[in-house]
Amino acid sequence: MTGPNVPGQPAPRSSTSTREGREGPGGPRRVRPSWHPAGLRSPARLRQLGVLVLLGLLAAVVTGPTGNSDHPLRAAWDSIADPRIVLFLVIAVVLWLIVALGGQLRTLAVRWTTPVREPVGAAYGRRGGPIALNLALLAVAIIAPMLFSTAAQQWMVDGVGIYALLALGLNVVVGYAGLLDLGYIAFFAIGAYTTAYFTSQTAMPWHAPFTLNPFFVFPIALLLAALAGVVLGAPTLRLRGDYLAIVTLGFGEIIHLLANNADGVTNGARGAFGVPHLSIHLLGIDYTWGIDPLPYYYLLLAIIVIVMIAFGRLERSRIGRSWAAIREDEIAAEATGVATLRLKLLAFAIGASVSGFAGVLFASKQFFNPQSFSLQASFFIVAVVIFGGMGSRLGVVVGAVVLQGLTFYLRDLVAPADRYIYFGAVIVTMMIFRPQGLVPSRRRRREIELSEAGVGAADALGAAPTGARP
Amino acid sequence: MGRRPILGAIALATAVTLSAAACGSSGDDTSSSGKKTITIGFQGVLSGDNQQLGLNALYGVKTAIAEVNADASYPFELKLVESDDAGSPDQGPTAAQKLIDNKKVVAVVGPMFSGATKASEPAYSQAGLLSVSPSATNPALTTLGFTSFYRVIAPDTVQGKAAADYLADVLKAKKVYSLDDKSEYGTGLSGALEPELKAKGIEVIHDGINPTKDYQSEATKIIAAKPDVLYYSGYYAELALLTKALKDKGFTGKIASGDGSNDPQYVAQAGATAAEGVYLTCPCGDANSDPKAAAFVESFKKVNNGAKPGTYSGEAYDATKALATVFKQLGDDVNRESVLKAFPGVNYAGITKTVSFESNGEVKGSNVYVYQVKNGAITVLGNIADLIKA
Amino acid sequence: MGFFDQFWQLTIDGLMVGSLYAVIALGYTLVYGVLQLINFAHSEVFMLGSFGGLFAARALLPDGGVPGGFQSVYLVAVGLAVGALCGALAAFTLERVAYRPLRRRSAPRLAYLISAIGASLFAVNLAGKEFGRQNVDLPDLFHNDTVFTLFGADVSTQSLVIFAVAIAMLVGLDRLVAGTRLGQGIRAVAQDADTAVLMGVNVERIIIVTFVVGGLLAGAGGFLYAMTFNASYSMGFVPGVKAFTAAVLGGIGNVRGAMLGGLLLGLVESYGGYLFQASYKDVIAFLVLVAILMIRPSGLLGERLGRAA
Repeated sequence: MTGPNVPGQPAPRSSTSTREGREGPGGPRRVRPSWHPAGLRSPARLRQLGVLVLLGLLAAVVTGPTGNSDHPLRAAWDSIADPRIVLFLVIAVVLWLIVALGGQLRTLAVRWTTPVREPVGAAYGRRGGPIALNLALLAVAIIAPMLFSTAAQQWMVDGVGIYALLALGLNVVVGYAGLLDLGYIAFFAIGAYTTAYFTSQTAMPWHAPFTLNPFFVFPIALLLAALAGVVLGAPTLRLRGDYLAIVTLGFGEIIHLLANNADGVTNGARGAFGVPHLSIHLLGIDYTWGIDPLPYYYLLLAIIVIVMIAFGRLERSRIGRSWAAIREDEIAAEATGVATLRLKLLAFAIGASVSGFAGVLFASKQFFNPQSFSLQASFFIVAVVIFGGMGSRLGVVVGAVVLQGLTFYLRDLVAPADRYIYFGAVIVTMMIFRPQGLVPSRRRRREIELSEAGVGAADALGAAPTGARP
Repeated sequence: MGRRPILGAIALATAVTLSAAACGSSGDDTSSSGKKTITIGFQGVLSGDNQQLGLNALYGVKTAIAEVNADASYPFELKLVESDDAGSPDQGPTAAQKLIDNKKVVAVVGPMFSGATKASEPAYSQAGLLSVSPSATNPALTTLGFTSFYRVIAPDTVQGKAAADYLADVLKAKKVYSLDDKSEYGTGLSGALEPELKAKGIEVIHDGINPTKDYQSEATKIIAAKPDVLYYSGYYAELALLTKALKDKGFTGKIASGDGSNDPQYVAQAGATAAEGVYLTCPCGDANSDPKAAAFVESFKKVNNGAKPGTYSGEAYDATKALATVFKQLGDDVNRESVLKAFPGVNYAGITKTVSFESNGEVKGSNVYVYQVKNGAITVLGNIADLIKA
Repeated sequence: MGFFDQFWQLTIDGLMVGSLYAVIALGYTLVYGVLQLINFAHSEVFMLGSFGGLFAARALLPDGGVPGGFQSVYLVAVGLAVGALCGALAAFTLERVAYRPLRRRSAPRLAYLISAIGASLFAVNLAGKEFGRQNVDLPDLFHNDTVFTLFGADVSTQSLVIFAVAIAMLVGLDRLVAGTRLGQGIRAVAQDADTAVLMGVNVERIIIVTFVVGGLLAGAGGFLYAMTFNASYSMGFVPGVKAFTAAVLGGIGNVRGAMLGGLLLGLVESYGGYLFQASYKDVIAFLVLVAILMIRPSGLLGERLGRAA
């Protein structure tokens, strides 16, 4: 993956050989066929074996018994000095052989998948092709939950849907405008508490003198969250990348702590119970969203699709192009007459409003307390955006599906206390092998390639850190 | 290169959704011993910062199950399904739904935290699945209209009232520093305690501090206020650090706390010297004089690889045993409906209290005991109601 | 109970916690200076170091009573050394596993952030699994008495040990960066990595050294933290965020700035917690941060490692 790749032209062999060449600095530069026995004994290959054996030992410890602090190393030792270890070592060696002889396998894999990839790729390239593909995805999204258990449907709303919407909003800030926001969950909180304020007399000590249907709170929360975004952004957006990150992180913590501390206003840690569910009483239609998750899912799906379409248009509009200009080279953008500060504020406000919107949905669906708005939640949304592929609308939604799907899947697979060990390992592995995210945006990728090649300075988020070029 | 990612993503998404769809447990209804199997669920804090509390309760449930399964007088074997809600309202509904979806589950021990309870309980009520919480103490829980919620722990108001009585009448405090940990449990308890104290004409200084490890400046603040008693509403891990900081700085007042701190780990973490003399109130039974409690500790250690019972272990154990008693009474007719109907009538003499219920799901007649750390061990001083009279 | 009666005591409390923040902040600042990268998994380096030091000191602790005199010095020194080594090892592993492969692939900067979050989740929960989820207390290594009184405030042995070690580490690091050949290399890479390569600096080596030095400091700081409070698997997150804030406050990438930022943050928390409800002290700390960044957008002492340190 080093150096600019020609799009659409896989070059698997060359990347293996360059890596080999680099890892064995004193070794021969000549590329040997990788199946050659001498190839297996080369320092680079032996190091690979070492790494895999270490990983095998680590896997044994991770899946091994639980220890305690009286005997800190006993649990680790027990998992290694166990007959099970043979299995892990065998797996490590087999994996090593696969990796070592992988050249052929990869060619085979490429050959086998070509017949599938070609038509899909071609369809995607054709005019109207993306629409067909997107419709197919939409159909999957509509049908899939019906096949799930109710618990999975519940998670499709609470975990996947809400986070997909949040990630779409944050994507405007991070992906389009190139600003890092680590306190994004604060706007979600503002939306949720606004809902409690306007729709219920009992949920919080502080409430409006009248009650509204949650549907009417959507526009209010949207505006309030956008306003909060502007209030936060106006003084801070002059700060550069990482300073902005810490200020937004502080803002997120402040909102979280205020919500938790202000017992007389937000009911503090006890949370807001009794926000009414969404309901429609219009033109003879009477429908109330209740406890069942599926109706919420379809409402969320509709909102997500609308937001995706709207943001797609936004990205291609004059504003979207200005954002691209800002994140690629802010000074040049400013010099050519782009109102950088105002556009950054706009990105902040739009991102915040989506988060506030999601907050209304969440609050009207279920009970919440300040725990839902922790710093970790903010980090998690950033993780979803990067994991999916920043700047790509489909990407961040896929990121939410995969990451949250993973937490749900691991729920039954491993002990709950160990769940996040596996979760963390998957994230690191994914970033090692696919740092650009699952479905990267093409424009973003091109910017990164350009900055690598030294053409233009990509923004604070996209550029590789100093010293990246070995 | 340009097109592959989409395909990969679709494949991944499909894999995840399919595996999510394929979830579902399989098991047979009869065990090896030929007895029929009854499945119960456990919903609690099994991941995140508070998971030790969840494990305490889970181990209590497992101890009860092991005892029931080894006891021939029960005509069934119990099986456990665990569901983690991380103690947060976000994950509550999914965790509850997971147990509701499993048709074999006839009753649930949990949820543990009040926040997760408020988020989960609507689903339990709708499904008609009984849930017995070992630890959710928010007084409001039994007034929110949940039809399948019971708890084997007294609400904060009971403990707050008793603790106020004890501080006022036995410790003769004139000035109390009430500190809570800003958690749902802590604010609930301090919110119940403070009005009671004020009603007795005691000067109350309120402060709240989020769980941390650094209590240095808070200790300075407390010492400067010169209270007779510091009452901490929170968990033992933080109280241990607070005690150490206070003792290092030479605090001479008395220290008291609630059931969240009534855990042998408190003494272990604070050190026996620092913890000496600290008062702990708890709406749970007298664990020392009761031979059943000693047997519980033994069997707990045996079942859980030497782990010792902690906060909420006893309550979870009692809840499970009470369920088993109801199953036994019901005989062959054990299903969600019959269990939900029969459970309010249960009368089971447990180790923390006798489990029987008011009509609203509140446990009956809770006595609040006070304990004190003496020579590095938490020892009972007696029932607060009796101590006041004496 | 006026604020001014307690002012000096609160100052001592704040400086004690602040110097712990400062020591952790040094690790953030070093890595940021060289790589322009927020090492979010640094808090787990700190956590692993504190466990390492704690277990080592506890293993050597004789039974019965609090040790004194030379034995105390020896135990603290061993704890610091083992903690530092564990921290360095953790930081080295982190760099190898979570960062280097990404550098090889010229990943976007945010990918490092996510990789760090993943590594952090992994390390926290694995530590919880291996060492249990209870807090682990370290018995006293020395008699924690009041050594002297300053304007009516007690200064304990514990706070003196922390000040001494923290100052020694800062001075050592400052000398290392400013006065040695290695430091020259670090500054060169921080200023301009491309030119540094042309000048014959081994950038890979400098990056590893930076992580290892940051890990040494965090590990030693972790031991001090465990000695003062206690250790637990989830202990890293909060001090990590605080130390990161401290690093930004002082001017990220600036070694002296990190120290100043840490002390300042400790003081603000201490005073703020006294004057308002203690649970608002983080709110106050963040408000001060925002205010300072409004006035000095690149931190108190300015930012780059290469220029200011």
